[in-house]
Amino acid sequence: MNIRIRRFRLESFFALGALTILCIIFSIFARGFNQWATALNIFASSYAIGFLAIGVTFVIITGGIDLSIGTVMMSSALIGGFLYQNGEGLPLWICLIIIVLIGTAFGTLNGLMVTKLELPPFIATLGTMMVAAGLGSIITSVQSQRFPAPIGDSWFTRTFFRIDNFPVGAIWLFSFLIIALIVLNKTKLGRYTFAIGSNEEAVRLSGVKASNWKCIAYVISGFCAGFGAIFHAAAVTTIVPNTGQGTELQAIAAVVIGGTSLKGGSGSLTGTIIGVFFMSVLRIGLQGMGINAASQVFFTGIVVIGAVLFDIQRTKRANQVRKVKPVVQKEK
Amino acid sequence: MKKFIAILLVILLATAFLVACNDEPVVEDPPTVEEPEVIDEPEVIDEPEVIDEPTEVEEPNDDVDVSYVAVISKGFQHQFWQAVYAGARAAGETYGVAVSFDGPPSEADIGPQLEMLRSALARNPDAIAFAALDTEAALAELADAYNRGIPVIGFDSGIPDAPAGQVLATAATDNIAAGAVGADNMFPEIQDAIAAATEDAPVTIAILSQDATSESVTGRTQGFAERMYQLAGGVNDSVAIVGGLGRINTGDTDAAVIIDVTVGATPEIADMTSAALGVLNTPNLLGVFCSNEGAVMGLLATIGAGTNVPDGVILVGFDAGSAQKEAVETGLMFGSVTQDPFQIGYQAVSLAVRAARGEAVHDVDTGAQWWNSSNMHNPDIAILLYD
Repeated sequence: MNIRIRRFRLESFFALGALTILCIIFSIFARGFNQWATALNIFASSYAIGFLAIGVTFVIITGGIDLSIGTVMMSSALIGGFLYQNGEGLPLWICLIIIVLIGTAFGTLNGLMVTKLELPPFIATLGTMMVAAGLGSIITSVQSQRFPAPIGDSWFTRTFFRIDNFPVGAIWLFSFLIIALIVLNKTKLGRYTFAIGSNEEAVRLSGVKASNWKCIAYVISGFCAGFGAIFHAAAVTTIVPNTGQGTELQAIAAVVIGGTSLKGGSGSLTGTIIGVFFMSVLRIGLQGMGINAASQVFFTGIVVIGAVLFDIQRTKRANQVRKVKPVVQKEK
Repeated sequence: MKKFIAILLVILLATAFLVACNDEPVVEDPPTVEEPEVIDEPEVIDEPEVIDEPTEVEEPNDDVDVSYVAVISKGFQHQFWQAVYAGARAAGETYGVAVSFDGPPSEADIGPQLEMLRSALARNPDAIAFAALDTEAALAELADAYNRGIPVIGFDSGIPDAPAGQVLATAATDNIAAGAVGADNMFPEIQDAIAAATEDAPVTIAILSQDATSESVTGRTQGFAERMYQLAGGVNDSVAIVGGLGRINTGDTDAAVIIDVTVGATPEIADMTSAALGVLNTPNLLGVFCSNEGAVMGLLATIGAGTNVPDGVILVGFDAGSAQKEAVETGLMFGSVTQDPFQIGYQAVSLAVRAARGEAVHDVDTGAQWWNSSNMHNPDIAILLYD
């Protein structure tokens, strides 16, 4: 256990190092990169993905996957926006609570399908992904929904997005991260999350209701998607129906870049958040260099492949060490 | 091993970046396909508006060094936007300014477009040309540009409902003029029949319109109807506009030459198809103008289902699309009108440069092009025709 924890720190360090190097490269080559405005832009495009990635890290550590988070986020935001606009004067804060509840409900649905109905997580959440996208479109009659625009004195913007040039959303994101870190690393829930990912059968045989704890991971993921929806709404204002497909893959890519293994059993939230910023910095830096959208996607893809390659090498090496060490001293 | 891979990755990334921009950042390659059509004095079609300019650019000054214009479009992959991009690059060449061109993957990607706009603002451009997916979402950024004295120019659909003074001018298609291009080209073919028509033996020119609310579609419908009314009036005393677009109707359904506007019950293809069936069954039909690609699709679907086009009826379309291109190529359709995305891009950058120099700028009509089977493969027309 000790060895494993030390290894995680090392990987977070690698990811952080890569992020720093990326920033240095861009500050030399990308026009207008060394500015507070760029930092604000990077923050603004990291909020929603950040919350999604934190949530899905829990699921991925259990060895599962949640493909629904992107559309669940959009769907919650759409329904919340619909209530805000057509809800006979329903106050915005109630709509925001409803948004989080809708996300959590979808998460619970995923959790129950995976644990009680024993559907493969990939299929269950793929279904939810479509259900959520469809529901958002049905309820809103495929109309865009608007939240208060990010100008003037809207409390919504000032609470969740930014006050003048201060990124308020970042405070939320990092506070949320700290809570998630505590949950994952200091509580029973966190320990079981790791244990299920390593060996679910062993957890079950040791008398723990593994399926219940696994279900909670999906609920957390849905809750985070609902939370992310608020920040997406604050940053983007207008929510378009039938969008969000692909957002979940960005969040999952961030998790992978951050060093969490898709095989489950190991992972780090610090890595995840670094992964999120890595992707935002990469995208915005490339824009600053005048590289078009198509190439931005291309480079992000290369980074994801590199990160997975890294992950595979690491797992291989870990296995090698375990097998070889007792017999010979030298590696290989 | 792990370290080695990490280092390798970082080096790979770094070299990729360096290779990708060993040129001066942001400067685009000169256009290779088409010769830029140099237009020094764009035709000003609207009456000049009084525009509040940001304080920094109040006095016209040729010495102002304009070096960089950021263009944020509504898309990138679509051929339409590629043509806009080609136009923007050509204008960059003409004016000797660097032009960056960015657009989100799809027209639903408001968030990514905002990110691109913010990133463009961070680069501190001399001017921005912007086609907003959602004006409201971009209000903060527009205000930021305004406060910093960075002129903002709209293009294509522009930045509708932007706060007064924050958008200096827009380069877009004048849809009324574009509709008139269709009438100008159809008229010579049916002129004799129009001249020969009497109130006892009337003729009809039909317009098939997909809806009666969209500004672009009604603009083209109106432009065609009014130009045809004027042209037909030159050879026949009894002309009337009737039908579904009430505000342009001239009454008098007993006229010798009837310009009949048919609007589909809904924009759905099925309703456009039945509307097209009604149009093709109109007695003494001379020609049909479809005011957008949706209307063309409806017409072609009706014909494809077996409805005959009466001999000599001139079918004129709008926009492009593979089905329409094929219909024009095979001679089923006489020709069509397309917007000129190359000019949209060219004029957007041109306006941006001139606004950054502090010159007064006004909305520009980027024009429309007539295309038919004889010119559709010319490189300068082909780039305007998407599939």
